[in-house]
Amino acid sequence: MTHGIRLEAGGPGDPDAVRTVTADLQPEAASGLPAAGPRPRVSRRLLLDVRADRFSGLYLAVVLIAVFALWLPHSFATASSARAILADSAITGIVTLGCVLGLISGAFDISIGANMSLAISLVGWLQSSLHLNALLAVIMTLASGAAVGTVNAFVITRLRVEPVIATLGMSSLLAAFAYWVAGGQTIITGISSTFTSFGMTSLLTIPVPVFYLLGLALLLWYLLDHTPFGRYLYASGANPNAARLAGLPVARLQWSALLMSGILSSFAGIVLTMQLGSASFGAGDSYLLPAFAAAFLGSTQIKPGRFNVAGTIVALYLLGIGVQGLQLRYPSLPWIADLFQGLALITAVALGVIAAKQRVRRAAAYG
Amino acid sequence: MASTDHGGFALEVHGLSKTFGATRALRDVDFQVRSGEVHALVGQNGSGKSTLIKILAGFHRPDRPSVATVHGRELVLGDQAAAHSAGLRFVHQDLGIVPSLDSLDNLALGFGYATGAGGRIRWRAQARHAQAALSELGYDIDVRRPLTDLAPVERTAIAIARALQGIEAGASVLVLDEPTATMPQPEVARLFTMVRLLHSRGVSVLYVSHHLDEVYELADRVTVFRDGQAVETAPVGSLPRKKLVETMVGDIPDEPLADRKAGSSELALSLRGFGARIIRDLDLDLHCGEVVGVAGITGSGREEFCDALFGGRPRRGRVTVGDSLVEPMRPEEMVARKVGLVPAKRRDDALILQMSVRENFTLPDVSEFWQHLLLGHRSERRVVTDLIRRLSVTTPGPEASIEALSGGNQQKVIVGRWLRLRPKVLLLDEPTQGVDIRAKSEIHALIDAAAAAGTAVIVASSDEAELERLCDRVLVLRDGRLHADLPRSRANAQAIAHEALGSNNDKPVAIAGKVEV
Repeated sequence: MTHGIRLEAGGPGDPDAVRTVTADLQPEAASGLPAAGPRPRVSRRLLLDVRADRFSGLYLAVVLIAVFALWLPHSFATASSARAILADSAITGIVTLGCVLGLISGAFDISIGANMSLAISLVGWLQSSLHLNALLAVIMTLASGAAVGTVNAFVITRLRVEPVIATLGMSSLLAAFAYWVAGGQTIITGISSTFTSFGMTSLLTIPVPVFYLLGLALLLWYLLDHTPFGRYLYASGANPNAARLAGLPVARLQWSALLMSGILSSFAGIVLTMQLGSASFGAGDSYLLPAFAAAFLGSTQIKPGRFNVAGTIVALYLLGIGVQGLQLRYPSLPWIADLFQGLALITAVALGVIAAKQRVRRAAAYG
Repeated sequence: MASTDHGGFALEVHGLSKTFGATRALRDVDFQVRSGEVHALVGQNGSGKSTLIKILAGFHRPDRPSVATVHGRELVLGDQAAAHSAGLRFVHQDLGIVPSLDSLDNLALGFGYATGAGGRIRWRAQARHAQAALSELGYDIDVRRPLTDLAPVERTAIAIARALQGIEAGASVLVLDEPTATMPQPEVARLFTMVRLLHSRGVSVLYVSHHLDEVYELADRVTVFRDGQAVETAPVGSLPRKKLVETMVGDIPDEPLADRKAGSSELALSLRGFGARIIRDLDLDLHCGEVVGVAGITGSGREEFCDALFGGRPRRGRVTVGDSLVEPMRPEEMVARKVGLVPAKRRDDALILQMSVRENFTLPDVSEFWQHLLLGHRSERRVVTDLIRRLSVTTPGPEASIEALSGGNQQKVIVGRWLRLRPKVLLLDEPTQGVDIRAKSEIHALIDAAAAAGTAVIVASSDEAELERLCDRVLVLRDGRLHADLPRSRANAQAIAHEALGSNNDKPVAIAGKVEV
């Protein structure tokens, strides 16, 4: 049995670059799809299995909506409730996108909540105490987020501090800085009404922050799934050694991801301030857990095993629906949202672990 | 080695089947190891031998509840603790040791420490036990030295000593799963001595290996696995090597090209005063189309050559690719100058396990598919499908997870990753380690073809026969220095091994005879 292996190597444009080498191989190898018959079938099954659960979040969201709508027809199944879910989740969603970027790059960035808190205090203080123009205040706040991301990246990629430790320390620094800026106070006065109108208005009855989230999600989806940058970022987060030895600029990629993550966190703080009309001191901290819950739950959706934008959005609204429904059902239990999100985070990570184990076990079939 | 049949069977399994999804990994396997024999288990990747080992060890459960017999006693398969107490002991390829701890602690892992009042560890008693366990294997190792200081074979000895703790030699079955995969030749000889010692004590050994030399050197009988079945069991003496290989895979020739030319005069890469942690002061000129081998025992610098040259670890000296000087520790500059590296550690340093075959293929550069501000997934898939065909990669498709492929096919993806970019220089570090015979011959053919198309190739390998098969020239390193520079006419496996070990080496050296297929 003779089977040709055609190979291209050598300098570009070399007409002799394509040679044909013959090597004697098993007859099966010559037929294109070689050897062991049952292998393709396994993969088909695998695909089916994966398809069954990659949209499970969507199905679950539909079920939740139906259950809460039947349960609470007068409070949950209303337009205002839907708007509340959309608007609340929009801000969580913006931080979550930052969180996802960090996670893809291999950094567990827990400074996103504190970064958001600082942005809230900063954007309020710049307007109320320094009487800066709202646009300038926004730009400076975003710059502070970028600076936080840059410092994180420096500590992680240059000083080689574990990301969790680096960003834990950064959180504490940011909390101190936010206190120093705002004096531990919520800033109520002096915030421009033009500024707040960008968070309070609605477009086609939908609160405008939802469009911010939508725009950013589209941008990030494009960046991650449709540009070389996204591909390289995924690779260097998943296996930095292999990525580096394939010639990818691993440190620079992580740097960009953390920079963007910092900017997104501070933007989330700005949007929250716009929406509330006041700079609520420390309000960003409570967004940390929901962001991680949505990010991890998102990594089991649409493209299981990978942090991805579409999955994140599905997870975000799944959690948003759950929280809203439970809060309406049990208004006297203020801890219900925390309980739900904590459970969701642990379940999401456990699901991810089980799915990964299954993939390994399936792969073992070839050993 | 004479068969020492003690009458009964040390291990028997009957009608064992295992299905993963739609893949039948084992089909109705009957298999016996006689008491006191060294029984070799051979087969290509995917043949089912790993599955058998994993079932015996209790990692997997067989399809139907099955009973194995270990030295006459029944064992229900699929339970790790039961397998252990029945006397089945395993030394897996990664040894399951903790390199940063010393032998004493490693021996205590899993078996606990000798403790006195209040749970205090009785270190002195513990050290005595450890020393005794190792000396039974013929090793006198300082049990307080961390394992990182020890030779691979000494670490294997520790893993074996731990496996055999607390069991009588005659009541056990020791399973050695590819123990020599990362061992240089002289250490392999020491391992053999150890296995023979165990054999003489009456330990039954099941020896899994890719190396047929070892089978003939060590085993009494051999069982061949193919496509999930035990296709043949025979005394090694009655099964000539050619027949054994045919039984495993069918006849797969792995011969150099008849009409291969030496490299051109165009310089592809040059090293001046090249050095790393072990290597010092090495000069080399590598020409387009030339295949240069790097040989040497572990610790000679062979294992760091490619990585340091490529920029994976610090180095000294001047490295020039084409006519531009490249800084140390800059893999991205190497790639930009069309140099590729196939690292020795496939899983750690080369594969992105979470990604598909397609994404692993195109990892170093997707700019070709970046058109009209979109990453063209379709054009990428087309290129990858073509690569899969040309390199005959066995995969369900370009979108399959890279983890679903066998080691040999994963390795073809990594080699192909660079071939797609038409490299000027290709650095290969142990290119066929842990790869089955068929994939090995295919990878060798790929390397030939790349060289024929003008790529300059460096192959660092601990497999001397591989260097003989591939190289125009072999550099032999010893203690970090260039010890010999063998031209093709002299670069045969024996000569390479001889130069690598040196004549003043007082270690027992047995170079397994390379029997021609």
